[in-house]
Amino acid sequence: MRKKMSIRDIPKEEAMWPGNPACQGCGGSLAGRLVYKALGRNSVRVEIASCAPGFMNIRVPSFYAPAFEGAAAFMTGLARGYKLMGREDVVIAGLIGDGGTVDIGFQGLSAAAERNENIFWFTYDNEAYMNTGGQRSSATPLFARTATTPISDTSRGKAEEKKNVPLILAIHRVPYVATASVAYPEDLIEKIQYGKEIKGFRYMQINSPCPTGWGFEPKDSIKVARLSVESGLWPLYEILEGRRFRLTYKPKELKPVTEALKIQGRFRHLSTEESNTIQEKTINNWERLLDMDGKEIF
Amino acid sequence: MKSEVMVGNKAVAYSAKLARVNLIAAYPITPQTTIVQYLSEFVANGEIKAEFVNVEGEITAQLVCMAGSIAGARAFTATSGPGLIYMHHALHGTARYRLPVVMAVANRGVRTMGPDHTDMMDQRDTGWIQLYCENNQEALDTGIMAYKIAEDERVRLPVSYGLDGYVLSYTAEPVEIPEQKEVDDFLPPYKSTYPVLPENFDAEIEDYKKHWLKGKSINEPFTPYPADESFSHLTMVNWGPGHDQQWRWRSHQEAMMKAKQVIKEVDEEYGRRFGRSYGGLVDEYRCEDADVVIVAMGTIASTARVAIDNLRREGKPIGLVKLKSFRPFPKEEFERIGKTVSTIGVLDRNISLGEGGIVYNSIRSAIYDLEEKPLVLGYHLGLAGKEVRLRDVEQIAERTLKTANEKKVETFVTWI
Repeated sequence: MRKKMSIRDIPKEEAMWPGNPACQGCGGSLAGRLVYKALGRNSVRVEIASCAPGFMNIRVPSFYAPAFEGAAAFMTGLARGYKLMGREDVVIAGLIGDGGTVDIGFQGLSAAAERNENIFWFTYDNEAYMNTGGQRSSATPLFARTATTPISDTSRGKAEEKKNVPLILAIHRVPYVATASVAYPEDLIEKIQYGKEIKGFRYMQINSPCPTGWGFEPKDSIKVARLSVESGLWPLYEILEGRRFRLTYKPKELKPVTEALKIQGRFRHLSTEESNTIQEKTINNWERLLDMDGKEIF
Repeated sequence: MKSEVMVGNKAVAYSAKLARVNLIAAYPITPQTTIVQYLSEFVANGEIKAEFVNVEGEITAQLVCMAGSIAGARAFTATSGPGLIYMHHALHGTARYRLPVVMAVANRGVRTMGPDHTDMMDQRDTGWIQLYCENNQEALDTGIMAYKIAEDERVRLPVSYGLDGYVLSYTAEPVEIPEQKEVDDFLPPYKSTYPVLPENFDAEIEDYKKHWLKGKSINEPFTPYPADESFSHLTMVNWGPGHDQQWRWRSHQEAMMKAKQVIKEVDEEYGRRFGRSYGGLVDEYRCEDADVVIVAMGTIASTARVAIDNLRREGKPIGLVKLKSFRPFPKEEFERIGKTVSTIGVLDRNISLGEGGIVYNSIRSAIYDLEEKPLVLGYHLGLAGKEVRLRDVEQIAERTLKTANEKKVETFVTWI
């Protein structure tokens, strides 16, 4: 049984210098800070088109993969190359946005997972193409307003549910898949420190609230992230070997989803009926996860 | 030295083996597929010690080679036609990061499965060196020379080389296989001059800042790597005032121009060591005292040699210029040739729609500054895999000779 990390066990050393041009309250930048704090500086960072090149103050070698669709391929090449150089100790990590993960980068991601490449993929998930002004991605949740799923008489935000990439990757039977949240740094860091010792394909999807795109005050980033977890909208779990499922944080009682939704501009248009739909789906999903907790799945 | 009858794709696989590539990433596509199969056999039976990545598409193949090369691998990939077009996005990246990746292209047109040069011509502005081969021996030799050119510090550019699909890729010819030791002497195993390692990060940033503070960065960009500055973490200190964004293009163009000399040197050294050379950028065949030359690429050059021999027997003053290096383009060579001949006939197995034959127009441009310019005629042939017969090339040669004699042009461009 792994020891639960306390906030006091978080490494003191920062891999990030102060100062970068990300928006105030950027969840993605915070995810970057925590990820490299946990990985340590014997690692590299791959980035593609996203807000991540803006988190330029992380002090590890960073590579801009010059193809939006190519993060997995680029990380594969680095992993194989460092192996040839006898430097498998260097962690090949990527800080990739949700679009580069779930949409345009998905073919390469699935292929790298299938080949079980020795890489650690971090998706900082802000649930839309925030760097280009907030267009819908397949990581955007149901009913969310984005620049391309506006609110009108005929459109109620995104009509589809979020693509569940952690579970899709788990069924590739990769060694490690986890979700995390910037509001739970001890959970996030403990998972990374565990994952970084594993060889093979590792994936973590981090809920990274975006004040600019989601429409809330920058000071509320952590609050939004925390309420998402406590209401069951963003469950924290990990899946080992694509089978062993474990919830890593179980609130005694779920808060109503409206607490998380009402402070976000992208959900301001929700009718009671739409809120209820989200509430119902969230509870159903949470109950399914509770059933799976501690068991072999698939 | 031993000799074996082998198809072009096997010659390519042998060249990669002899060059001691240690990272191979490729995806199957006709008519390139067997290159990958031969290589996977070499790797499986231990003849090549390499990381072999069976990727899910060509763009991934190129990106794996790109990133592997950054980490220090000698990387190889191969593709054809639509696969090369799918790779296009990543080709720009490998070139801008100045990585010595080598790629064989079994040329396949973009409109049929037949051979033509439209696939590689589509990539002409990606910043890759482009060489074209006439036979399987040349494919093997070029595959080895390609790394020597790509890794030269004056160049540091990726090299692609084409062999006509089917006509070479699936056709067997006798090929001499050089000894591994001799190849090792010519092309020592690769060691990256620019390793990117986490432990060097702080020192590199300090160096960079010092350079920046001296105000040298404007037209003398400094990075520990020869690459485009977006390559790495140094991106963070390079977007300062006065930074010349055009530098990335200018320095790339300079490297391309320097590659002309390097290609010639490498070809000459290869000739000294192995007894075979290909004229550097162009191979001139029976051009001495010629009044007319025809220009061809790839296997058409082979057919043209026979046509030239036949016409020379009849006493006609005609020669062949085989264009081996399309990028960089041998402007100086064509200026020199243009001074001695009255008419040039250009055989284009390609087309740039809305303008015409790509080599035709390049040669016309190359000779523009000559005071006395030869006539330049263009011929489209072999596109979409249309068969190129000896009599087609003879017809072209006769037509060009007739124009030279009569000093009168009926049509500048002809479809054969």
